Amino acid sequence: MTRTGTGDDRALTRAAAREPAEREPRHRPWLGALLVAGMAAALGAAIAGLPREHAPLPFIARYALQVALPQWKLTEPVNEIVYGTRGFDTFGETFLLLAAVISVVIITRPREPRQGYFGESAAGAREQARDDPAVGTSAAEREARSAERREAGDQAPGDRGPALTPDATPLGTPAPETAEAMTVAVRNPVRVVLPILAVAGLYLVAWGFSPGGGFPGGAVALGVVLLIYASYGRRKISTVIRPGLIEPLELAGAGLIIMTEFLGLVLKGSVSANWLPLAQELTPLSGGVAQLFSVSELIEVGTGLIITVFALLGMSHDWARPDDGGPGGGEPGP
Amino acid sequence: MILGNYLAAVGLFCIGLYVVLTRRNLIKIVMGLSLMEASTYVLMVSLAYRAAATAPVLASPPAGKTARQLVHGNVADPVLQNFCLTAIVIGVAVTAVFLSVAVRIAQHYRTLDADRVRAMRG
Repeated sequence: MTRTGTGDDRALTRAAAREPAEREPRHRPWLGALLVAGMAAALGAAIAGLPREHAPLPFIARYALQVALPQWKLTEPVNEIVYGTRGFDTFGETFLLLAAVISVVIITRPREPRQGYFGESAAGAREQARDDPAVGTSAAEREARSAERREAGDQAPGDRGPALTPDATPLGTPAPETAEAMTVAVRNPVRVVLPILAVAGLYLVAWGFSPGGGFPGGAVALGVVLLIYASYGRRKISTVIRPGLIEPLELAGAGLIIMTEFLGLVLKGSVSANWLPLAQELTPLSGGVAQLFSVSELIEVGTGLIITVFALLGMSHDWARPDDGGPGGGEPGP
Repeated sequence: MILGNYLAAVGLFCIGLYVVLTRRNLIKIVMGLSLMEASTYVLMVSLAYRAAATAPVLASPPAGKTARQLVHGNVADPVLQNFCLTAIVIGVAVTAVFLSVAVRIAQHYRTLDADRVRAMRG
């Protein structure tokens, strides 16, 4: 991270003045409307040929319905399609998800190594001051850095310290709100809802007749983590939600999926074939590899979504001048 | 009539496309792309619908029917429901990629105006 000179206030003001005006150039609305009208006409013609509500089911759907119970002991054909009939497609989609997660990690990752998603943007401040001691800071930068330090719990001299919750903040305290967690009126209901939500997510995965299993379960896992983060603050999750733990877990989920799919090829001669014994339907082990695949998807989707959301939330301020090198500089601004 | 759902999906797609084509703010463009993405969910779920059909669940079939009868009877298309399920999760991750690029552009160029990212014009 690079410090900038005091003259940056003017640069920032100029940059703010360049923010997009709501008034668009005149040609955009009508040209856009013309192109959209053309697209609407093409799509309208396309939907005329789509099957309607009385059309028979396509062969693949009928096939999945027929094999779900006898071949997989699954009473939920959607689950059979996700992990069985279309297992190889799901395999590909999973790695599309992984590619998106890796893209987010690469785009959002700062230059300095990080232990957590938040509060480490000042990791190189000492080295920066040593290398470039003459460069001062603008008022806007000082204000933002002060806010960052409060967020990280590394209180600067003279800063108003962060209250743990709004309940601990004296009445009449001026804005901005500095509390890390929400009020007791939010925290207590969340305390009740969290276990229910977590158990519901695990239920979706554990029972073989839930649709898709791991996909909605992973989304529920993200919801649980975000609820804790929003209501109790980042400290509550910082020991678990950190790149050093979540990213290897994500890769472990991907590895488990590869193993699940390709053991089918080795043992049964077909990728995605079932190689585990099937239990009675409506039991947790009823789907064979479908259940193993589903658990792997829970890990993959849950950690993938957590990584993307927290990588975005943790994107630090970049105070480089427009003509500096590095991620905040490079090309001059307009 | 399911044609109404199809038209709603087309309408949603066109609103998103209009936003992408006419807005310069990167966040609004990402919102437009998300609308286009959402229109595909509406279309897929609508395509799966069958008149007077039951859900494609073989546990606890309706009274008087067995699971085997359900397989050969009138049920909603489970394949398109599967498409929708996976598309939603991947859509979230792809939107995150768009947003992270938008934030990096904002940090790099000090603007969210796509028209002012001059270096991309070559």
